[in-house]
Amino acid sequence: MATKRRILKELEDMSRDRSSGMQAEVVDSDNMMHLRGWFEGPPDTPYAGGTYVVDIVLPDNYPFVPPKMRFETRVWHPNISSQTGAICLDTLSAKWSPVLTIKTALLSLQSLLAAPEPSDPQDAEVAQMMLNDPARFDAKAREWATRYAGAGDAAPPSEAEKRRRELDGYSESLVEGFTGMGFETRAVVSALRGAGVKRGVESLAEDMAGRVVERLIGGM
Amino acid sequence: MKVTIKTYNAVAYWRWDAPSDDVCGICRVQFDGTCPNCRFPGDDCPILNGKCGHSFHLHCVNDWIQTESSRGLCPMCRQKFEFEAE
Repeated sequence: MATKRRILKELEDMSRDRSSGMQAEVVDSDNMMHLRGWFEGPPDTPYAGGTYVVDIVLPDNYPFVPPKMRFETRVWHPNISSQTGAICLDTLSAKWSPVLTIKTALLSLQSLLAAPEPSDPQDAEVAQMMLNDPARFDAKAREWATRYAGAGDAAPPSEAEKRRRELDGYSESLVEGFTGMGFETRAVVSALRGAGVKRGVESLAEDMAGRVVERLIGGM
Repeated sequence: MKVTIKTYNAVAYWRWDAPSDDVCGICRVQFDGTCPNCRFPGDDCPILNGKCGHSFHLHCVNDWIQTESSRGLCPMCRQKFEFEAE
């Protein structure tokens, strides 16, 4: 089926691209049209540090119609129902376009968390609180993030997580090729980025490797 | 040395005039491949170049334009989707 091929491509793309932080997987291997996506709450918001899980149902004529998305994780936010997780977002309805993807839709949800729009609410009670008592709204949003999304506690990132952030999506073996020459990881990653090397590649053509080394030497 | 050619097989190669690594934004298949509903690339599954500079498989963009929610707009830039008749 037409739709299936595109969904597979999208899932592959998301599992390869670690830098966006948007992830999705099939809920039940028999049904490609039902997915579960998740992402981190945006930094410097009450949702920071939480993990937000989204239930995704793809209609048969996807991508010509938008995916049906609903927050599985409970969220205190004016554009998301505090009861059902239903989402009010134009990109997921009238403003949908078939060049958008599950990943871009999840990115839009992450931006929605960072930019609540109380004038066009999904949940009137939450919107009222946000407008009338912003401090109380922030506290409650934070409380829900801690209780339902696992935020808070500010656990320090694990060693593996630190390393993953440091590599910024580049493969360990690729970076090691350069750190083996005596350069620091941070410098290698920034040189790879500067030379326009795609994330996830395992080896470089000679001229590209040369360009990366040039940058490393230039930066010393 | 004199050679007499008795028989030969001609081989031709073609591709669309589009960047080779470019995919149709709607189905995500390369332009040189077909839309998901066709089997053979080429004139039976052409690409359509919009005046706005965005290209898609004809069949893909046609499916989109036929939906009510498209309002006839290009999926990329949301301008009216128009194309040069050839």
